[in-house]
Amino acid sequence: MAGAQDSATPASTSSDQLLAFVQYLRGKKIPVSPADTLDAIEVAELMGYENRSLLKNGLAAALAKSRHELTVFEAAFDDYFQPIPERPAANANSHSDEADIPPPSETSEQTGLAEGGEDLLDGLRGNALFDALESQDESTLSVAIETAAAEAKVEEISLFTQRGQYVRKILDALGDEALREAAIEFEQSEPAAFEAVQALREQLRERVRDRVERAYLIHAAAATEDLLDESLSKLKLGNIDHSQMARLKRLMDRMARKLAARHGRRRRRYRRGKLHVGETVRRAIPTDGIPFHPRWRKVERKRPQIMAICDVSGSVAAYAKFLLMFLYALQDVLPRTRSFAFSAALGEVSELFASLPVEQAIERVNLKYGGATDYGRALQDFSELALAEVNRATTVIILGDARNNQADLRVDLLAELKARSKQVIWLNPESTRLWGTGDSEMLLVKRHCHLAKECNNLNQLERIIDKLLSDRR
Amino acid sequence: MTDTHYPALSDIDSIQQAFESAGYICTTRIATVVRLAAALEKPVLIEGPPGVGKTELAKTCAMVVDRPLVRLQCYEGLDESKALYEWKYGKQLLYTQLLKEQLGDVLDGAKGLNESMSRLHQFSDVFYSEDFLESRPLLKAMEADNGGVLLIDEIDKADFEFESLLLEVLSDFQVSIPELGTIRAHSKPLVFLTSNDTRDLSDALKRRCLHLHIPFPSVELEARIVASRVPDLAQSMTDQLVRFVHAIRSLDLKKAPAISETVDWAKSLVLLHARDLDGPLVQDTLNVLLKYEEDIQIAEGQLPKLLAAAAG
Repeated sequence: MAGAQDSATPASTSSDQLLAFVQYLRGKKIPVSPADTLDAIEVAELMGYENRSLLKNGLAAALAKSRHELTVFEAAFDDYFQPIPERPAANANSHSDEADIPPPSETSEQTGLAEGGEDLLDGLRGNALFDALESQDESTLSVAIETAAAEAKVEEISLFTQRGQYVRKILDALGDEALREAAIEFEQSEPAAFEAVQALREQLRERVRDRVERAYLIHAAAATEDLLDESLSKLKLGNIDHSQMARLKRLMDRMARKLAARHGRRRRRYRRGKLHVGETVRRAIPTDGIPFHPRWRKVERKRPQIMAICDVSGSVAAYAKFLLMFLYALQDVLPRTRSFAFSAALGEVSELFASLPVEQAIERVNLKYGGATDYGRALQDFSELALAEVNRATTVIILGDARNNQADLRVDLLAELKARSKQVIWLNPESTRLWGTGDSEMLLVKRHCHLAKECNNLNQLERIIDKLLSDRR
Repeated sequence: MTDTHYPALSDIDSIQQAFESAGYICTTRIATVVRLAAALEKPVLIEGPPGVGKTELAKTCAMVVDRPLVRLQCYEGLDESKALYEWKYGKQLLYTQLLKEQLGDVLDGAKGLNESMSRLHQFSDVFYSEDFLESRPLLKAMEADNGGVLLIDEIDKADFEFESLLLEVLSDFQVSIPELGTIRAHSKPLVFLTSNDTRDLSDALKRRCLHLHIPFPSVELEARIVASRVPDLAQSMTDQLVRFVHAIRSLDLKKAPAISETVDWAKSLVLLHARDLDGPLVQDTLNVLLKYEEDIQIAEGQLPKLLAAAAG
C-alpha cells in the first residue's frame, strides 16, 4: 500500500473512537451531520485503520466539505490520532523475558545510589501498581488507567477547571494512596527510596494527566470555547484586552463568513403579476404560439453599496481598533464597501484593507490618521472625496462617539448626506445614557441620521449588519 | 466491500497506475477519493483553482472504466429542460397534425362527448411517451445501460435553484417526470461535479458529495505531469521550467498559471528548440504562461530572481 511507511494508528482505534473524533470535529466548528458520520464509518471500514495517511485522506473526503474545513480537519486529525510514540524501554515482552535483570532507566539508577533504599522498596513489591510502574509494563498500566478513568467518570468532564479534580479521582482509583503513604514514611528516614517512589508517582501522574487532557479535549474543550466565545460576544469592546484579541479576530472572521453565506448570494425573485411578454412569446414558439409557460419579470436584489467612515481619534482609542477590525471584516463580506478613516483629515483606506492583513492595516491607519477629533473637517473631506458617488443605493455608516471638542460638527453636511443617500447610520460605542453629555453632539447628530445606535459588542454589531444587509428598501 | 460496477476502481494502487497510463498523474488523495466514490456510490465534488485538472479527472476516469462520459456544462440560466429532459413539442405537433384523419376514424360513430373522450382515453398517453422525450445529459446518464461517468462541470456557475434540482439526481440517482413517473438509473453512474469556488455551494449539495480539493501540484508532481505530456523536453529543462512556474505562482498575480499553461509553455519551448531557460527566451514566451499584461510586467520585473529560483 502506498504510504505504508507512515506510522500506524493505534490498533485500539475502532468506530467508538471514530465517533469521539466526530465529536471533536464538531467542537472545532466543522458541522458533521449524522449522515456524514455514517459515511465516515463506511470509509473507515473500507480504508482500514492500519494506514494513517490512507484513513486521513478517506475521512477528509467524507467529513471536510470545503477548503477551510479541510485545513481544520487536517490539524484536528493530526492532533487526535497522534502516532504512538516509541517508548525505548517500555515493552511487555522484554519484561517477562528478562524479569531478573535490573528494571530499566531512572529507577535502577536512583535505587542504585543507596543499597538500603532498594531493600526498603521490597516492602512495596507485590503492590500491582508499583510493580507495573517499576517495570514500565505498558499494557498493565494503560488498562489500569482506563479502568480507573471509567470509574472516575472522566468522560463527564465539562470545564477546564475540573481537570485537577479528575486527575486526583483517577489517581485515587488507581491506588496511588498506598504509594503516597510509603513515600511519606520514607521522606524523613530514607531519602533515596523516597526519591525513587516519588519519581514513579510523578510518571504515573503524568500519564493520568494526559488521559484527562484527552478527555477534556474531546468532551469539554468545545463547550468551554463556546462559553468563552459567548462571553466575549457580550463584553464591551472597550474592555477587551490584548490577550483576547486573537479570539475576537476569530469570532469576527466567523461572523463575516456567516453573514457572507447568508447575504452573499444574489437571489432572484419572481414577482408574480408582471408578465415578461417578450420572453413568454419566445417560449411559446415550440407550442405553436400557445403560451404554456408564462415568464415573469425578475426582481434582482442588489447588494448594498456601503461607505463606512471610522473615527480613529484619541477619544475612541479603546474602540478604534475594534471599529477598524469591524470595517475590515465588513469589506471582506461586501467587497464593494469603501472605507474611510479620520481624526481630523479624512482619507480612504479601502486599498490598505484590501492589500494588508488586518493587524498591519490597522497599525498603518492609526499611524496615518490618528490625532485630535474634528468631525467638521472630516465630513468636509468626505464630501469632497466621495459625495458625488453617494446615491439612492448608498448606505453611509459612521462609526464614532460624536465628541467634537465643542467645535462645529458641520451638521449641514450630514443633512446633505442624509438627503442624497439611502440611509445614514451612526454607530456609537458609547452607551445611550452618555449621549449629549459633555461635548457629545450625539443628540444633534441623531436628528440627521436615519438610524443612530449604540454598538459596543459583537452581538449588537452582528444584528445591525444582518439587518442592514437584508434590508431591501 | 467489493465493487461490481467498476472493477477497475477497486484498489488505490491500481487506480493510480491505470490513471497514469491514461496520461493523468494523480496523488494518493485523488486516487483514494475515486476509490471511495466507486465503493460508496457517492458523487464527488471537486474544487480547486482553474486548470489543475478537475475536468480532466472525470474524463480520464471514463477512459479507465471504459464507459461513456456524459458532460453537462453549467451556466447561468441552465434549467431542467436543458439538463434533465424536454418534450419534443415539434414532433408532438407534427404527429397530431398527421394523425388528424386517424383520429377521425377512431372517433367515428361515437355518440356524444363522453363516448369520444373515453375512446380517446384508450390511447391515453401516446403523445407523452418515451418516444417524445428528449433526454438531456442528466437523464441520459441515468439511462445508460452499464453505468457511465457523469460530469457536471462548473456547478458554481449554475443558479442556486439548479442545485436543488440536482439533489434528487445525486442522492437517489433517479429523475421524476410527472407524465411518465420516476426513471431510475439501471446501474449508478460515477458522478463528478467541479467547482471553481466562485460562490459557496449549498450545504445540502455538499452533504451528498464526497469532497475533493485539488491544489496546485508540488514541484515533483508537476514535473512528472509535464514529462508525461511533453516527453520531448529534456529532463533538466523540465525541472527548471517547473521550478520557474512555481516561483511565478508565489508572486501576487491576477491569474496564476495553471498546469495546462505549464504544459503549453513546455510544448512551445520544444518547438523553439530551447536548450536552456535564459532571460531573453523567457521574456519572449512569457505570454504563453501569463494571460494579463499586468502579470507579465510583474513577472518581468522579478525575472532575475525567478530565474535564480529555476536554476535551483
